[in-house]
Amino acid sequence: MDDMEDDTTIISTLRSFNSLISCPDRSVLEAESSYGRSDLQKLYTKRVEMEEAASRIRSHTSLLQLTQEKQQMELSHKRARIELEKEANSSSRDLQREVDRNRDFLMKIKRLDEREEKANQALREQIEKNKTLKRNIEELQKKANEKDLKLAEGEQTIGELKDETRRLNQQIQIQESKFSTQNLEIQALQEQLDVQNQKYQNVQSSQSTSTESELKIKELERRLALQEQDSVIVKNMKSEVARLPEMEREIKRLREENTFLRETKENSSLLKEETEGLRRKLERMERVIEEKLKLELEKEKLEHELQAWENIGQVTGLNIRKPEDLSREVIQIQQRELTLKQQNYTVNSSIRSVEKARAELIPEISQLRAKAQEEQKKRENQDSLVRRLQKRVLLLTKERDGMRAILSSYDSELVVSEYSPQLTLRVKEAEDMLQKVQAHNAEMEIQLSKAQEEAGTFKLQAQMVAAELEDLREQLKSNTETSTLATAEENATLRQKIEELEAERQRLEEQNNILEMRLERHNLQGDYDPVKTKVIHLQMNPTSIAKQQRAEEVEQLRAECQRLRDRLRKMEAGGAMSTDDTTLIIPPSQEILDLRKQLESAELKNQRLKEVFQKKIQEFRTACYVLTGYQIDITVENQYRLTSVYAEHMEDSLLFKSTGPVGTGSMQLLETDFSRTLTGLVDLHLFHQKSIPVFLSAVTIELFSRQTVS
Amino acid sequence: MSKTLKGITLKGSAELVAEFFSFGINSILYQRGIYPAETFTRVTQYDMSLQLTTDTKLKNYLTNVITQLKEWLFDCTVQKLVVVITCLETNEVLERWQFDIECDKTSKESSAPREKSIKAIQEEIRSVIRQITATVTFLPLLETACAFDLLIYTDKDLEVPEQWEESGPQLIDQSEEVRLRSFTTSIHKVNSMVAYKRTDSM
Repeated sequence: MDDMEDDTTIISTLRSFNSLISCPDRSVLEAESSYGRSDLQKLYTKRVEMEEAASRIRSHTSLLQLTQEKQQMELSHKRARIELEKEANSSSRDLQREVDRNRDFLMKIKRLDEREEKANQALREQIEKNKTLKRNIEELQKKANEKDLKLAEGEQTIGELKDETRRLNQQIQIQESKFSTQNLEIQALQEQLDVQNQKYQNVQSSQSTSTESELKIKELERRLALQEQDSVIVKNMKSEVARLPEMEREIKRLREENTFLRETKENSSLLKEETEGLRRKLERMERVIEEKLKLELEKEKLEHELQAWENIGQVTGLNIRKPEDLSREVIQIQQRELTLKQQNYTVNSSIRSVEKARAELIPEISQLRAKAQEEQKKRENQDSLVRRLQKRVLLLTKERDGMRAILSSYDSELVVSEYSPQLTLRVKEAEDMLQKVQAHNAEMEIQLSKAQEEAGTFKLQAQMVAAELEDLREQLKSNTETSTLATAEENATLRQKIEELEAERQRLEEQNNILEMRLERHNLQGDYDPVKTKVIHLQMNPTSIAKQQRAEEVEQLRAECQRLRDRLRKMEAGGAMSTDDTTLIIPPSQEILDLRKQLESAELKNQRLKEVFQKKIQEFRTACYVLTGYQIDITVENQYRLTSVYAEHMEDSLLFKSTGPVGTGSMQLLETDFSRTLTGLVDLHLFHQKSIPVFLSAVTIELFSRQTVS
Repeated sequence: MSKTLKGITLKGSAELVAEFFSFGINSILYQRGIYPAETFTRVTQYDMSLQLTTDTKLKNYLTNVITQLKEWLFDCTVQKLVVVITCLETNEVLERWQFDIECDKTSKESSAPREKSIKAIQEEIRSVIRQITATVTFLPLLETACAFDLLIYTDKDLEVPEQWEESGPQLIDQSEEVRLRSFTTSIHKVNSMVAYKRTDSM
């Protein structure tokens, strides 16, 4: 297959080559033909033929070349095929690799697809979100627009409110101006009031004078009453004076009686003194008698005693006749007592000395007793020894007797010689016994010697100990001597140490004090040891209750604040819509209260002014009525009705209407039933003279004359 | 009250001390203006006129605390009673009235009455309350709204009764302390003192 293809390619290349060669020739041929065909045609044809031959040759050569080339080509082709095969192999390998890679890529692609899908999904979600967000934004924008609109409305309302405030300010200014005018009026009124006050004061002063005069009158009345009383007293006095001579007589009589009585009184006092003296004497006498009785009794007693003494003297046989004898006797007895006492003392002293001797003897006795006991013990020991020795003696005598018997038997046996073996046995036994006894004795001796040795060693030990004790005593003495020198240094160091320790102790004490103070302070501040103590209090104590209440209050206030804020917001949103469904009543602010007060006071002033005005107007009207003879009423605006004092009927009145601007004072008479009757006066005074006052006075005169005439 | 003219028992002592606290706390509340002066009424005790509250809530609270305190005094488990005055705005402790109680625990075993007359004890109590009244002269003015609390320092092993709870000591930051007089019933000794917050001017 490949060869075929290669051939075709070569052929195709040849054809293309030929065509390529032929083509320019033709063009040249054509170009040449255009210039001169006739002469040149032959040349040209020859040339062509030559050239064709040449070209054939050339083509031959070229063919050869081509065949060569073909061979070469084939060779190269083969080489190329081999190479291609190699390449194909490699390429197939590559392909395989590529396929593998492709698979990998496919896998990757799949993964990427999946990712893409996910991403797409995310994207979709994101888009949806975006949409929603956009919607939200739109809504928010709408809201913002609405808010803006509301804001604009609010601004409008603010503007309106500002206008209103301006208007209100103007009104306030007007009100203020009114106030100022009213104030002026008030001042005028106050002046009047002052005048009135002055009058009132005058009245008061007159009243005070009247009260003073009343007081005077009262005082005078009182004096009159006093005088009346005095006159009564005087009358009484007069009657008493009339009785005076009688009284004097009586007094004389009484004086006489008095003197008589005084005399009798003196007499009686003398008698009394006498009786008193007699009574005292009597008492004294009685006392003397009692004493006498007592003395007699004593005398009897003494006599008895004397008798007793005499009896004693007789009984005892002593020569006691007088008290001297008795004293002598007593002295003798006392001397005897003294001697006896001396004897007693000597006896006592001897007893004491004996007792001392006894006390000295007691220890001796005890010593002797101890000795006696020792002696007794010794004796007992001796007795026991004696007993033991006696026993031994007995044993030995028995043994000796036995030995003797044996010896006697020996002696007898020597004769008989039958008992020799027995005797030898016994001797042996005795010898054994002796040996045993001797061994025992030796042992005992050894033990004794041992004991003696031990005693000796103990004695030596005791001596050594005593020597050591002596040495120690000596050492102690030497020590006491030597230490005085050696311990001086030690002492110094020890003192230093003590001082240091003292210093440290002081420092520690100070620290301790400081710490105690701190502890005290802490204790004062209320600190405590949590190991030992705990702090407790009632759950519902006043502090926590108060705190709770406070918190609640704060909460309430916060809620109220929130409510008010909401309300304010609503107000702002709703503009002038002051109607609110919440029944909250805002307490009026201080300003409003002040304004209200001002308003009230202003109204009050107004009221007062109105009253005053009414009064004044009434006064003015009556004055006008009386002075001009006309009552002027304002029926309608700009119309004035005049009714004369002298009118015949109540309804007889004149009507005037003011024309033109207010204040110019141009008036026109309107036709009434009454004015129709006064056409003459109207013509004369109004049309000719053009004077209303003249007309009115003419009417007055007319009516007056009519009344007086009638 | 088991008052005898000659001596005093543990029970009588607890009663006396609790009574003192009742009057002392009332005096502090009146003197320091924790409650308005018009809610207090004048009574005569310890031969002197004292102020007692008429506020029912406060009365209930005080009787509650005092009856409990009496029990603890009888058990000798109470160490301190503290009246804490707190500022309501800042929750800061401004004053602490501390009454240290020293119990003679031997009196629990021996019920024999001690040799001290009621009159002498009341004399001491009177002087303590006089001092409380006099402290107004140097204590700083309480300018803000204040409330008070009663803390009781007890032994650690005491069981906390219902309605009671443990609390902090409520100490004053930077305080000045002043010791007041003390009195003793020979069973309970009460040392009084007041600590107050140091003001900036000092």
